[in-house]
Amino acid sequence: MTSIFKALADPTRRQVLQMLRAGPMGAGALAEAFDVSKPTMSAHFAVLLAADLIEAEKSGRTIVYRLKMSVLEEALMDFAQAFGLQVSPETPPTTARRRTKEKS
Amino acid sequence: MSMKQPIRRAVIIAALYLLTSVVLHALRQRQIVSDEAVMRLMGMLLGCVVVISANAIPKKLVPLADLSCDPGREQTLRRFGGRVLVLGGLGYTLAFALAPIAIANTLAIGLLAPAILVVAGITARCAWRRRSTT
Repeated sequence: MTSIFKALADPTRRQVLQMLRAGPMGAGALAEAFDVSKPTMSAHFAVLLAADLIEAEKSGRTIVYRLKMSVLEEALMDFAQAFGLQVSPETPPTTARRRTKEKS
Repeated sequence: MSMKQPIRRAVIIAALYLLTSVVLHALRQRQIVSDEAVMRLMGMLLGCVVVISANAIPKKLVPLADLSCDPGREQTLRRFGGRVLVLGGLGYTLAFALAPIAIANTLAIGLLAPAILVVAGITARCAWRRRSTT
């Protein structure tokens, strides 16, 4: 349950889940929709996969992500979206590293 | 997930349902619980089983290669079916928990039956369309 709350606490991950509501999407198409680096996006996908909220399926050379949320999990996500739930200003390590690099 | 896991879960749920029924029957014979309480508890238990099962429907994915219709459409139908059945199951549970016992059964069926009919109708329509396109 903790992994689900952790996954839903981040707005980017919630946005990914919102996009997947329309149907399965490729990793590239999803990454293009966000202004973050590919490693950061991979970290987000890893968190969502660990929480069992999405499923990855290999289709040729690309990875297709599909929504794998129960009715309760979707209700939780809508709740988090409506109230802007954010447990902590957590950023995946890759983003933090990139920002430090940019500063220097 | 292996095929044995859902079967095992279904058998456990059925066993729990039967065990609860036997225990409640025994308690009723000893006049520890009333007929009304037994009816309400069994109804609520059945409603909870529907809610729990329906909640997991959108999580049970079919591999993309095995899908014969549009994956987005299939996902939407699965999510809609899950939501409708969860609401129907919740209505069933609440009817047995809160409604007067004389109308609880009718009300509960009245709330769950449309949900089952909607999901069955959508599934049948989808299957018919799939067959007509192939």
